[in-house]
Amino acid sequence: MEDLAIQATKSLVSGLLMGLVFALVALGLTVIFGVMDIVNFAHGEFLMVGMYTTLLTSPLLGIDPVLTLPIAGLVGALLGVMCYFGLIRFLIKGPMIAQLFGTFGLMIFLRNLALLFMGSEPRVIHQGWLVGKSFIVGPGVVLESTKLAVAVLSLVSFAVVWWLINRTKVGRALTATSLDAEGARYMGISTEKMNALAWAVGGASVGIAGGLLVNFWPVEPGVGLLFTMIAFATVALGGFGSVRGALVAGILIGIIVNIPPVWDSMMRLVDVTGLDIHSFKYTMVYAIYFLIMVLRPQGLFGWKQ
Amino acid sequence: MRKIAILAAIAIMVALLAPALAVAGPKEIKIGVIYPLTGSVAAAGRELRNGAELAAEIANNVMPKIDMTMAKNAGIKSLGGAKIVLIFKDHQGNPQLGADLAKKLIKDDKVVGILGCYHSSVTKTVSAVCERYGVPMINGSSTSPTLTKRGFKWFWRTTPHDKWFTKDLFEFLVGLSKGKVKGVKAVPMAELKTLASACEKTEWGSNVSLEIANFAKEYGFDLKANILYAAKSPDLSSEVQSMIATKPGAMLFASYTSDALLMIKTLKSMKAKPKVIWGQDAGFDKPEFRALGGEIEGILTRSVFLPSVVKMKPLAGEVNSMYAKKHGHDMDGASARSFTGLQTWVYVLEKAGSTEPKAIQQAANTISIPGKQLVVPWVGIKFSTKGDEIGQNVLGNGLIGQYQMKDGKIGLQVVFPFDMATAPMIFPFKGF
Repeated sequence: MEDLAIQATKSLVSGLLMGLVFALVALGLTVIFGVMDIVNFAHGEFLMVGMYTTLLTSPLLGIDPVLTLPIAGLVGALLGVMCYFGLIRFLIKGPMIAQLFGTFGLMIFLRNLALLFMGSEPRVIHQGWLVGKSFIVGPGVVLESTKLAVAVLSLVSFAVVWWLINRTKVGRALTATSLDAEGARYMGISTEKMNALAWAVGGASVGIAGGLLVNFWPVEPGVGLLFTMIAFATVALGGFGSVRGALVAGILIGIIVNIPPVWDSMMRLVDVTGLDIHSFKYTMVYAIYFLIMVLRPQGLFGWKQ
Repeated sequence: MRKIAILAAIAIMVALLAPALAVAGPKEIKIGVIYPLTGSVAAAGRELRNGAELAAEIANNVMPKIDMTMAKNAGIKSLGGAKIVLIFKDHQGNPQLGADLAKKLIKDDKVVGILGCYHSSVTKTVSAVCERYGVPMINGSSTSPTLTKRGFKWFWRTTPHDKWFTKDLFEFLVGLSKGKVKGVKAVPMAELKTLASACEKTEWGSNVSLEIANFAKEYGFDLKANILYAAKSPDLSSEVQSMIATKPGAMLFASYTSDALLMIKTLKSMKAKPKVIWGQDAGFDKPEFRALGGEIEGILTRSVFLPSVVKMKPLAGEVNSMYAKKHGHDMDGASARSFTGLQTWVYVLEKAGSTEPKAIQQAANTISIPGKQLVVPWVGIKFSTKGDEIGQNVLGNGLIGQYQMKDGKIGLQVVFPFDMATAPMIFPFKGF
């Protein structure tokens, strides 16, 4: 029974950390969707670019990978702005389907660009302040330094974005653009700039997330897809465009995917084994996702248009 | 009289030309090679490609230094010195794509046969296409036992499969408890009895998982966790937590490269400390994995080729040094098996003396390549033609190696078979 309590604590801590990782990855996606109503299929590839930026710049500049985060954020922001001005602003004039296929094409383009220049082998960072470090904070409860750093950064990023949107003039302009772009234009707001800002904020947040994640996850051109699916589920569950919703949904999903070890331990107590943890955890995530979608199509914190 | 003279002249001309006509074969022989050249398993794909290319290079040129029959001739001698041409295709780990590529190779490129495909799941679909078209396929590196249990007439596998490799693991663990492992006193069985495994869930990993469960039962071990996970997984924390919760003596894995790296990092961050960590080759035997350096010291992996084998096998040393010169690192299980797969193609074609499928089939079913011709430490290559494993090489065997630091460099030392051990084993695993 004691083992079960320890397992539950471990799972809760691990779930909370992982949830904040998912939330940070989803943050940029929800900001872009909130302002422009565009689903960015290339979001995971922005994350991949952030990972490669840190992987390459750290040895090049001879600094710790953590110190390259501003560069990863800047590259992410620039990529976001470039994508907006080079592709998205043309797509938004077309039907919804053009936007979907446009960002899908962007995803394929960025992935193949990475294949061309970086090759397809997975790469890892071997040295760094966060690499391989962890802290034991209780019986069997371990805090992994990379995930802890991402979790802290996630909370800070959410606070900054919340402050930006709710407490600044630019934020009010962003909100006005997201609610009624045409009306905002009549009020003298440059919606073009607001859209570009949304892509810059989205790109920067996911770029920084990638820069931190590469301290733990191997990077290869296809790595974005792993996180994109979770980010989509997070944004949809939390409510399309809701920053608060992305945070809550991220944590919720993190905890859900870390529940199976508790079930597993319970089953072991009655001497039953054979739980397919992996299938079980994602089945649970998407079952809850569908349930919320059926009961509340706008997501937990979304609003009806 | 004049007629007789003309007929005689024609007869003499035919007689003179006949040998030339007999040996006039194709100038080149196209073999389709289907491997995962991009995606999360691309590291393995690169090694596989390098291995096949080196074998083709040796077969197409005379290299007197290398003591292999195929190095003595420039091309396939029985086919007039025809050169081997490899046409590579990338299946990206996708079975359906693999099947489509096989059709393209057969119908458009008119290949004589196919080599591939690493992922057992892809080998399964590709071999089904070959079977349908009656085109020979030699498989060098897929280890799902089911592949040679389908009674296929056009499929031959050179590598031993996971049933053999997993059996080796349990023989090793039992040997560890009996003091048979070099440098380790008999370990009480109680310390090793509890096992936890995590395998990726494609055809390959699922079958390894099944074999582990079967052998654990047969050998009297207690498999407390037997987890399947997706190789392309964003997080493996819950899987590792479940494994640690069982307090296992040994943790067993079947992982590809990306997930093997993620698994080790997760094990490390969660302070896992089993007495034994064993990987079923693949991701545990790639340069990217070795790049983790001192962190992986003490981890075991099964393989069919370890650089330390070259001490016992000069031929392997020659080929390995050619490989290392070209690519900057030693051969591994993937490159050595791909090399051997293509080498088998060369020997089969030499024996067949024809590119006709029937002749190749007959040659493959009767071929016997002695172990001294191979870079891998097998008795040889001879395919089963009856029983429940048609097309399986019955003369292969595996190795278990352990990562050890030597002169500041991480490398693999043989610890099983016990009589081939190249260094004392590090036991228990020192932890991360």
